[in-house]
Amino acid sequence: MDLFEQRKVYTVFEITSEIKQTLDKLGVLWIQGEISNFKHHTSGHMYFSLKDDRAQIKAACFRNSNLYLKFRPEDGLEVIARGRISVYEPRGDYQIIVEYMEPKGLGSLQLAYEQLKEKLRKEGLFDDAHKVALPLLPHKIGIVTSPTGAAIRDMLRILKRRNASLHVLLYPAKVQGAGAAEEIAAGVRYFNTRKDIDVIIVGRGGGSIEDLWAFNEEVVARAIYRSEIPIISAVGHEVDFTIADFVADLRAPTPSAAAEMVSGARDELSATVVSLQGRLARAMRRGIERRRLELERLARSRAFSITPNMIRDFQQRFDEATLRMIQAVRKLTTETRHYREMLHTRLVKVDLRQIIGRRREIVARNWQHLISSVKARLQKEHSRLELAAGRLDALSPLAILQRGYAICKDERGAILRDAATVSPGDRVAVNLAKGGLDCRVEDVKT
Amino acid sequence: MELKVKDFETALKSLEDIVAQLEAGDLALDKALELFEEGVKISRFCNAKLEEAERKVETLIKTADGTVKEAPFSEDQSGGES
Repeated sequence: MDLFEQRKVYTVFEITSEIKQTLDKLGVLWIQGEISNFKHHTSGHMYFSLKDDRAQIKAACFRNSNLYLKFRPEDGLEVIARGRISVYEPRGDYQIIVEYMEPKGLGSLQLAYEQLKEKLRKEGLFDDAHKVALPLLPHKIGIVTSPTGAAIRDMLRILKRRNASLHVLLYPAKVQGAGAAEEIAAGVRYFNTRKDIDVIIVGRGGGSIEDLWAFNEEVVARAIYRSEIPIISAVGHEVDFTIADFVADLRAPTPSAAAEMVSGARDELSATVVSLQGRLARAMRRGIERRRLELERLARSRAFSITPNMIRDFQQRFDEATLRMIQAVRKLTTETRHYREMLHTRLVKVDLRQIIGRRREIVARNWQHLISSVKARLQKEHSRLELAAGRLDALSPLAILQRGYAICKDERGAILRDAATVSPGDRVAVNLAKGGLDCRVEDVKT
Repeated sequence: MELKVKDFETALKSLEDIVAQLEAGDLALDKALELFEEGVKISRFCNAKLEEAERKVETLIKTADGTVKEAPFSEDQSGGES
């Protein structure tokens, strides 16, 4: 029983409180471990475990603490967390309440930068398709930066040196420290509410990664992405790349370079316009000159130059022809009249009897001539006839019989040329030059 | 003839087009003159646009009632924070 009397019996709550007090004595401590089972509750609180190869401990990072984390915790990430061990009495759990943590190895800012960059890249905030070209000739530019920083000083110096006729509107914003990102984003949003801003420049001078951090914040990236007005990001030095640089339509390596970008085109454009004006005038002058030359050439060409002459020539030729025609007609009339008169005179003078007598003579002479030529012709035809008769005679069968040949015919009167066509006993007739013979065939020799 | 273009980019583009057309030289004279006239107007417009903006630097000041107003910005006041 003593044992029982001596023993101290705690209630569950008492022992839990005891444990809690003991753990509280540990105070603020640092723990290194790997995050696992990470959950970001809709309340904003984060719940996870920290583990190593032999143990694990539950951890919670409440909203008011994790808001200031520069990176996004995730499973598998090795972190160093600062916090207190606390006991969650209703469940008897103990856990570390993390107030701050940073990734081991990589600086937390660097990691946060990489994480946000990857996230926004996946969302398409850096896509070239979203980027718009700067206007060729901006008139009014909005600058979001510190009114007392090096950036605005550098930009104004460049604009002054380039004698750029630009209207600059400065939105004064904190560019580092708490609330800077919000102010920068507000500046971008403000300029978008105006209708008169051609280009926005957001930027600041050089500094450490912490100094430039505002330009790596999501709120700035999103404000730039949503801007309807083209934005140049001009943060720090050439080597500094911020998230804002990736989202912006154009990255200027430095604020001075941004000022060059918005003012540089003016001189070139001015030169372009002057050159175009020159070309315009020259083209027109050339066009007119070309037409004038063409006109002159045409005017000099035969087709045109001959025409007046030709008309003159034709006129002259026509006139001459007319004159000559009139003269010719007149002459012809006169000649005709003379001729008729002459004929008449001759006709009157002619002795008809003499003419008739002469004609008779001609007729008589021709008559004689006709008779004698007919006679001669008859003579000629007669001798031709005699000649032909002689030759005909020579060809006559009678003349052949005369030379001792005979014609032998069968009973039908057909002339026999082949002994085989008759047989012994046939009667044949033989014609001689004078008279004929009726014969009987004694024998046939073939 | 009313100038159709209102902004510098479009004006410059049409001026380039007009010059190219004229330089091609195969236009009817009437058309060429018409284009030339338009080209002259556009180039005047471009020059005017180039001259238009005055160099002015202003800063925005938030007033007590939350509105924003513009005030001249002294360029010499800047400096200090880098």
